[in-house]
Amino acid sequence: MTEKFFFGGSVSPITCHAWNKDRSQIALSPNNNEVHIYQRDGNDWKLTDVLNQHDLKVNGIDWAPNTNRIVTCSVDRNAYVWTQGEDKKWKPALVLLRINRAATCVKWSPCENKFATGSGARLISVCYFEEENDWWVSKHIKKPIRSTVTSIDWHPNNVLLVAGSTDYKVRVFSAYIKDIEPQPTATPWGKKMPLGQLMAEFKNSGTGGGWIHSVSFSSDGNRICWVGHDSAINMVDANSGMNVIKVKTEYLPFLSSVWISPTAVVVAGHSCVPLIYSFDGSTIIFNGKLDESQKREAGGISAMRHFKLLDSNSRLENSDTLLDCIHQNAISWVAIYGGDKSNATKISTSGLDGQLVIWDLNTLTRSMQNLKI
Amino acid sequence: MILLEINNRNVEETLLLKFKNALAGHKPESIDVTVADFDGVLFHISNIKSDKTKIRTSISLKFYKELQEHGADELLKREYGDLLIDPEDGFNVSVLIDLENIPDNYEEIAQKIGLLKRNCFASVFEKYFDFQEQGLEGEKRAVIHYRNEETLYVEAKADRVTVVFSTIFKDDDDVVIGKVFMQELREGRRASHTAPQVLFSHREPPMELANTDARVGDNIGYVTFVLFPRHTNKETRDNTINLIHMFRDYLHYHIKCSKAYIHSRMRAKTSDFLKVLNRARPEQKSTEKKTITGKTFHRKE
Amino acid sequence: MAATLKPYLTAVRHTLTAAMCLDNFSSQVIERHNKPEIEVKSSKELVLNPVVISRNEKERVLIETSVNSVRISISIKQADEIEKILCHKFTRFMMMRAESFVILRRKPIEGYDISFLITNFHTEQMFKHKLVDFVIHFIEEVDKEISELKLSVNSRARICAEEFLKRF
Repeated sequence: MTEKFFFGGSVSPITCHAWNKDRSQIALSPNNNEVHIYQRDGNDWKLTDVLNQHDLKVNGIDWAPNTNRIVTCSVDRNAYVWTQGEDKKWKPALVLLRINRAATCVKWSPCENKFATGSGARLISVCYFEEENDWWVSKHIKKPIRSTVTSIDWHPNNVLLVAGSTDYKVRVFSAYIKDIEPQPTATPWGKKMPLGQLMAEFKNSGTGGGWIHSVSFSSDGNRICWVGHDSAINMVDANSGMNVIKVKTEYLPFLSSVWISPTAVVVAGHSCVPLIYSFDGSTIIFNGKLDESQKREAGGISAMRHFKLLDSNSRLENSDTLLDCIHQNAISWVAIYGGDKSNATKISTSGLDGQLVIWDLNTLTRSMQNLKI
Repeated sequence: MILLEINNRNVEETLLLKFKNALAGHKPESIDVTVADFDGVLFHISNIKSDKTKIRTSISLKFYKELQEHGADELLKREYGDLLIDPEDGFNVSVLIDLENIPDNYEEIAQKIGLLKRNCFASVFEKYFDFQEQGLEGEKRAVIHYRNEETLYVEAKADRVTVVFSTIFKDDDDVVIGKVFMQELREGRRASHTAPQVLFSHREPPMELANTDARVGDNIGYVTFVLFPRHTNKETRDNTINLIHMFRDYLHYHIKCSKAYIHSRMRAKTSDFLKVLNRARPEQKSTEKKTITGKTFHRKE
Repeated sequence: MAATLKPYLTAVRHTLTAAMCLDNFSSQVIERHNKPEIEVKSSKELVLNPVVISRNEKERVLIETSVNSVRISISIKQADEIEKILCHKFTRFMMMRAESFVILRRKPIEGYDISFLITNFHTEQMFKHKLVDFVIHFIEEVDKEISELKLSVNSRARICAEEFLKRF
C-alpha cells in the first residue's frame, strides 16, 4: 500500500524530512525557516512542536535514532542540535559551524557522536560535542573542494564521508576526529585516515556532467552511488578498482538516491517518480518504477468550479493539469521508512508538491514481477 | 462613423436649442460656452453686453490672416451676409443671432453657423478652383499654416489643382500606421473612378515643393491630391472642399482609432495569457472562508 | 511554413522541460543571499551551456539555464515595419505588466523581443509542465495575434481609403 499525506493543508514544498527511530514522528521543513514535528495518530498527523530557531530556510534535517537528537542546518549559516526535554519540547543548542555561506546538508554519523554539514562556503564541517566547554564544535574539511557541497553521506565505519558538490565532483574524505574516537581500521578506500584526507575523487563525467545532487554509501560501505544533473546514475565499487559505472537514463535529473539493499538503489527527482536500479558490480540495470499510476480520471466538476476555471484560466476543463503519477512536482528527498540500507522495506519521499508518500517496497516488488532487489 | 462631420455639431445644437427655447416662449438664459474644434479652432458662444437675447458666435483660427489673403472675408460675407458683426476681441469672425427676431429658416442658420470653420477654409479652395477654371496658370501657390508645423499648399494649373498637405506624425508608430493608410489611399482609386489621384511621400516634400521651405524629417509626410476639373467645377466643388479640408483630421483620427483598437486587442490578449499562466498555479487546497459576521466555514467541493 | 512549426515547438518543449529542473541554491558569493544565477552569473560552473532553437533566421528561442533559474528569450517573426511596431508594442505592453506575469522579465535580452525568467521559486509554486505549456502557448499565439492585428489595421485602412475616395 502506498500512503499519501499532506501536512498542514498547504501546498508549499517540503524541503526535507526525517523520521524518529520507531517512525511514529516526523520532522519536516515546509520550505521556510521552521521545522515541524508531527506525531502520527492513525491516518492523521498531529503537530507537536515547531522548531523555529533558524531565521532563514532550513536546508537539512537529520534525526539520530538512538540518541534521539535532531540536527538541522539552514541558509542562515547555522546548525542546531535539538534535544527533547522532560516536557517533550525540543531545546536547541547552537553549533559553531564557522562558515560564512549557507549550510546545505547535514547527516549524523552512524554512531551518532558527530555529524557533518556541507555548505556553500566550499567546505564540510565535521561537528562533535566538546565536553569541557559543553558545546558543539567543528573541524573543517576544505581541500580540494572548490564549490558548494550539495550532499553528504557517512560510511558505516563512522569515519569516511562521501560528498558531492556543484563542481561536478564526488569525493571521499576521512572525517576522523582523534579526540573522540579510536583509530579506524583500513577499508578498501585506503589505510591512512587523518582528518580531511582525500581518499578518492571522481569526476561526474569526462566532459563535466553537471552538479552532483545526491551521494550515498551502500550498507557495507564499499560502494558509492551518486546522481547528478546529467540524469545519469553512477556507481563505484571500491573493491573493483574504483571504476565509475555510469548509466544515462531517459528521465529528468535525479535529486536523491538511497541504497535499499546491498545491490539496489532508489532514485527520485524531477521526473516525479521513484525508480529502482540495481548494480551487480559491473552494470546498472533498471528494475522498475515504484509509481505505476494510470491516467487519472477527471473527477466530477461542480458548476461553481466550472465557472471559476473559466474565469481564471479561460478553459473548460483542467484534466491535463495533473501529472499521471502520485507526486505532482519534483521529489527532493528520499528517506528509508522501514528497514535500513541493507534491507529497506518501505521508503518515504517528499517533494515540491508538499506531499509525503510512503512506498511499501515489498508489496510493490511483488506486484512487479520483474523487480528483484 | 467613418467620415468626420464637417460641421461643429456642438455649436449647431447649442444654437438650435436656443432657437427652440425662444420659440417655445421660455425665458432666454445667459450663455457663455467655449468649444474647441480640429486644427486649433476655437468657438465662443456668448451674449452681447449681457443681453440674453443676443447670441454671438465667434471663431478663432490661428491662420485666418492667411485665409484672408485668399478672400475669406468675401466668402463669409456671401454666406452669412447680415449675420456678420465686428469680430469679438481675440477672435477672427463673429456672427450674431437675435432671439427676439427669429427667422423662419432658423434651422438653416444654426447649421450654417456650425459650418463656420469649413467656410473659412473654403475660400482658398474656391479661389484656386476658379483659377483653374479660368485657365490661369502661374498664380502664386497658396500656403496655409493650418497647424503648428503643418502646412497646406494649393496650386492651380490649367487642367488641375494640386492640394498638398504636410503632416507630422508625432509618434514613430504613427508613421508606420500612416504609411499603411496612405498605401491604401493610393490604391483606393481603383475602387472609385471619380476619385482624385493621391500621392504620398514620406520624409521629403514632393517635386512641386522642391526649393521651398517645406520641411524634411523622419516624421513628416506629404499627401498630394490632384484634383481634376470634374472635382473643381461648380457642381462638385462644395463636396470636394468638404472632403479635402477634413482630410488631415480624417487620417489622424483613423490612425488613433487603429492604435486604440490595437491597444484593446493587446489588453485582451494579455489577460488571456495571464489566464493561461494561471493554469500553472495549483488550486489552493484550503477552502476556508469567512462570512461577513466573522464565522469561518469550509466549502466542500 | 506550417510544417516547420510543430517540430520547432516540440524541440522547445523538450528543451524547456529539461531546463526547468531547478533547485533552491544559495549564493556562493554573498552570504544569506539567493539570486538567480543566470542573471548574476557569479560562477561559471553554475551555468549550463545556452541553447538556441531556431525555426528560421528570425524566429528563435534562446534558453539559458543555471542551477536555480532559467532564462527564455524569444525572437518573434517580424516581416515588415508594421509587424515590427506591433510586436514592439505588444511586448512592451506585456512587460509593463511584468509583476502580474511573475515570470516575465522587464527587459528582453539583447537581440530578442521578450524574455522570461523562471526561478526555482516559480517551479516550487507552480506546475512545471504548465509553465512549459504557457511558454509554448505564448510562442504560438503571439505570431497569430500579430498577424491578426496587422490584418485588421490593413482592412481598416482600406475601408477608410475607399470610403473617403468614393465620396468624390
